Amino acid sequence: MLTKKLLPAQSFQLLVSRNVGHLSRQRYDVIVVGGGHAGTEAAAAAARVGVDTLLVTQKIHTVGALSCNPSLGGIGKGHLVREVDALDGLCGRAGDWAGIHFSILNRRKGPAVWGPRAQLDRQLYRDFIQSELLSTPRLTVLEGSVEELLLTDPNPDEPGPHRVSGIRLANSGQSISAASVVLTTGTFLSGSLFMGQTTSPGGRIGDAPSSAGLSHTLRERLGLKVGRLRTGTPPRILKDSVDLSLAELHPPDSCPTPFSFMNTQTRCKPEEQLPCYLTRTTPGVEKIVRESLHLNCHIQQDTKGPRYCPSIESKVLRFSGRSHQVWLEPEGLTSDLLYPQGLSMTMPPEVQLRLIREIPPLHRAEIHTPGYGVQYDFVCPTQLSPSLQVKNTQGLFLAGQINGTTGYEEAAAQGLWAGVNAARRSLSMPQVALSRTESYIGVLIDDLISRGVTEPYRMFTSRAEFRTLLRPDNADLRLTLKGFELGCVSPSRYQEAVRVKNSLRDAMAALRAVSLSSTHWRERLPDIGLSENKMSKLTAMEILQHTDTTFEMLASVFPESFSPYMEFAQRLRIEAVYKYLCDISRRDIKRIQKEENMSLPQDVDYFSLSSLSMEVREILDRYRPSTLGAATRLEGMTPAAIQVLFQYVSIAEKQKEIMQRQQQNQSEDKEDLCARNVSLPQ
Amino acid sequence: MMLPLPSVYRGIFRTAIRKLKSSRNPSLHRLLSDCDGVQTGLADADTIFALSSGHGRCGVAVVRVSGPASATALRRMVGFTHRLPPPRTALLRSITDPCSKEVLDRGLVLWFPAPHSFTGEDSVEFHIHGGPAVTAAVLHALGSVPGTRPAGAGEFTRRAFQAGKLDLTEVEGLGDLIHAETEAQRRQALRQMSGDLGRLYQDWSHRLKRCLAHVEAFIDFSEDELIEDGVLDRVDSWVCGLQAEMEEHLKDERRGERLRSGVQVVIAGATNAGKSSLLNTLCNRPAAIVSPIAGTTRDVVETALDIGGFPVLLSDTAGLRDSSDLVEQEGVRRARERVQQADLTLLVVDSTRLPSDVQQVAGFLSDHLKTVLKQPETDKCLLVLNKTDLLPEAQTEKLKQELRRVSGLPAACPISCQTSEGLKDFLTVLRSSVQTLCGDPLSGAPTLTQSRHRAHLQQCVAALGQYQRYRDFDLALAAEGVRLALTSLGRITGRVGAEEILDIIFREFCIGK
Repeated sequence: MLTKKLLPAQSFQLLVSRNVGHLSRQRYDVIVVGGGHAGTEAAAAAARVGVDTLLVTQKIHTVGALSCNPSLGGIGKGHLVREVDALDGLCGRAGDWAGIHFSILNRRKGPAVWGPRAQLDRQLYRDFIQSELLSTPRLTVLEGSVEELLLTDPNPDEPGPHRVSGIRLANSGQSISAASVVLTTGTFLSGSLFMGQTTSPGGRIGDAPSSAGLSHTLRERLGLKVGRLRTGTPPRILKDSVDLSLAELHPPDSCPTPFSFMNTQTRCKPEEQLPCYLTRTTPGVEKIVRESLHLNCHIQQDTKGPRYCPSIESKVLRFSGRSHQVWLEPEGLTSDLLYPQGLSMTMPPEVQLRLIREIPPLHRAEIHTPGYGVQYDFVCPTQLSPSLQVKNTQGLFLAGQINGTTGYEEAAAQGLWAGVNAARRSLSMPQVALSRTESYIGVLIDDLISRGVTEPYRMFTSRAEFRTLLRPDNADLRLTLKGFELGCVSPSRYQEAVRVKNSLRDAMAALRAVSLSSTHWRERLPDIGLSENKMSKLTAMEILQHTDTTFEMLASVFPESFSPYMEFAQRLRIEAVYKYLCDISRRDIKRIQKEENMSLPQDVDYFSLSSLSMEVREILDRYRPSTLGAATRLEGMTPAAIQVLFQYVSIAEKQKEIMQRQQQNQSEDKEDLCARNVSLPQ
Repeated sequence: MMLPLPSVYRGIFRTAIRKLKSSRNPSLHRLLSDCDGVQTGLADADTIFALSSGHGRCGVAVVRVSGPASATALRRMVGFTHRLPPPRTALLRSITDPCSKEVLDRGLVLWFPAPHSFTGEDSVEFHIHGGPAVTAAVLHALGSVPGTRPAGAGEFTRRAFQAGKLDLTEVEGLGDLIHAETEAQRRQALRQMSGDLGRLYQDWSHRLKRCLAHVEAFIDFSEDELIEDGVLDRVDSWVCGLQAEMEEHLKDERRGERLRSGVQVVIAGATNAGKSSLLNTLCNRPAAIVSPIAGTTRDVVETALDIGGFPVLLSDTAGLRDSSDLVEQEGVRRARERVQQADLTLLVVDSTRLPSDVQQVAGFLSDHLKTVLKQPETDKCLLVLNKTDLLPEAQTEKLKQELRRVSGLPAACPISCQTSEGLKDFLTVLRSSVQTLCGDPLSGAPTLTQSRHRAHLQQCVAALGQYQRYRDFDLALAAEGVRLALTSLGRITGRVGAEEILDIIFREFCIGK
């Protein structure tokens, strides 16, 4: 169902005002700053909710660019892509359009942890995102650099001492006002690039650095706490110079699985997919890393880098004497480059060349673009509310790497959610939050805002307490209907989700309705190895939970009952197998929701709670969790401290109640006094 | 820290509750069973009431009411139509049923407006006459006041805690210390508080966390290079080890729990063997009616005893015989049921009815044992040969010699409840049996002390079974097993589910304290 047509490249000029002078309006409902994964999702989501949205980006050409790896999804990250898609975001469909090598990771480890992943064609991905944005109603894309945020007096009805009222552009100095501003500046906030011993300001090679004014506004005028993180990217290698016969071939899945719930197939035909190649580092690599350390500024800094996607330098330093995997990934259908995943490095270019040539398939390789490191500011995300709005600044939303995350998928998820809330704010609608019991997006945002980050945050399935419920296969059931209520899901997607939901419900009922004795099941399905000693009646649902059964088998035995649901064969099998544990999880969720519903006032003087240890008081004062549930997840919290908080909240609620009643009683007593003329009791 | 009723009341209280539950008073029975099912929510808008003093017949009974409708209850039942009485002042008033206007009793009423009350809420206390009929009527009347309900176990304490009136950060060991009725219980509670059991569970918890971390790592990272092969095999062996240790721990024959809740010792035997006399002798008071008439005891009579520092719940039962009397039939049924549940049975035999040829005594006793106990286990039974004062002294001696000779029978003690002859020896035997059943709280591996712990550990072992079951075809579900195991264990060590733990802790503090 891929129906989107790509627009020819020259149409951009017609649709987008490249020059501020041509910008017809001075006011939008929502302004999104930044055109990466967070920015594009934010702008598209805000426009879908139905408000006039302006996306400001330094270069229209790089909107939707994949700055680092040419791939999308993976374990945990694939879950996020499915959820963004369920909320009608862009990245899932863009992945289906641009994917050139699809595979499901963790295929043998159970559907709750399957990781849908694809290698992408950079050009196709960017084209898709750009054409989507340009065909989105109410969305304008503007090329320009933001000098600073405009601030105004806060709205007394909302919390927070500051309010954002728009942006000022760098060159013209022109102001554009908006009710909400979403900042998605990625690595550009005070970003510096590192290669060997040279350092230059910027967030991505080849792009101008963002203005210092924005950083100044956040730090000095809004007083936001800012930290510094680093990341890196590997050199790009000319494909022709690589001897791929020396590497291990890894073919894609023979039948590509689309990311999007709206697609039944991918643009790339199964047989046209490109393979990946696997090779390994040699002792020579380690030697060169060690010899060149003195030439490597980036690695000498003590800024926190991603533990889960480390540079080759940190891998060598932390696990010496070992051989590390290097994936050689295609950059596109027509690209003449390879992306060596696992070789992120920041040494001088000539050393980079020597290093990669220590790896057998790369012994004559040529570098197209050298690898480099980036250090950038992030805003400590504990200063955000669950809607991703900055707590102390009305109307200012942050999403993506600026919040300390790493990865396209994490950025896209935040961008979408910030966009929805920015739009709702401009419509004077209440902010909305996703719970960690219903989505990975909820887990991501809750982790960020309640625990903060000390290293770039990446999603893993183990972060989700309710992993058996939050599966990639059921993201539509979990989120699409809710998204429609919030306004960010189109009617056609909504109708499809309703159809799927009803069909699954009917199919599950049909599975429960068919019931046979185990003897009869054995006769009809001799292959499933039903144990002889089972004498009782079994429903088709129970049979489907059996290891070797498929829905197709059941449909062949009872075609009239089950054949209408063949398109959901895989989903039904997953639902049946997971049903029991999901029911248990749902009970736990109820309990958690009770804790989540106990809100902690934002103005608590935690230092006055003398029954808490000083350490816990400091943690609470620093993070100011919004609910008791969020407090339980703070690092360093103890069960005893939670009891005290629980007590505190209960007292606060009780006192309110008691005060109300005392007022009531007092008025009653006064009447009493007048009537009987007796003295009041003590 | 407010201390509850002196610990000595608690034994009586527990026994009384059990008795009350088995009594045939339908209204009280309903009230009590209602209490079991009451869930305590986070915000308590309800007004709760309960009998706060001991159940059963006593001089004065205290009924406590707490919550917003306390004032209404006071107005409706004591007739303060406009003004409430002065706070915290005892007033003698007639207490009436708000519906029938019938006077139920005349007693003291006290009004404690919030926040100066035990619970921090508006509270009322009724000090009434302690007969079961009066307390039942007052409780019934309170139940008819809108917005009130019977209190759940420990609910008053829980509300006091929520209102910041109590500072209970530590925990069940403390609760048990308050509850400790005997020296051995106190020692075990102290030991638990100092953390032997806690350390054992913490150790398991750490190891489970490690298992989980490895499985999670395998799920989230094995497709990268960070995970070497064989991770899951290692987890397999850890899980097996943990499972074996926990199962071993669970196979302790409930020793710790018994020490905590008391050893169930049941006196059984034929009619007129002297069972009630034995009970009275052991507890040094006429707790049970004794008469020469067979079938005097028709129901189970219970009493709490301290035997050598160990808590014992001693029950006297109806004599076992076929009877056409319906009441006696029920008594016999209950007696047999008690014997089934008992930790230790004292089988009382009238020694004058033993065969005069001592050689036949062993066979006789063995047959008799089989009629009383379905599967006689020699270590769960003691034979008490009563009425030796009625035997010729020579016969008693021969009997003793014969009993020393035979094997395969439970320990047998010839005694006379009438003259106390042989009682000292019997007590020594009884104490050592009870001690074996409880174990020594100060030596060896720490024992399970609470059935709640047992339930969570059983869940934990079962959850590890889930890991093994799913390990090869759905690792996500297998990992869920380890997560569940950790959660179950966390409910003991207090690391997970703070709210549920609170519920249970407060349930352990009984109603109305």
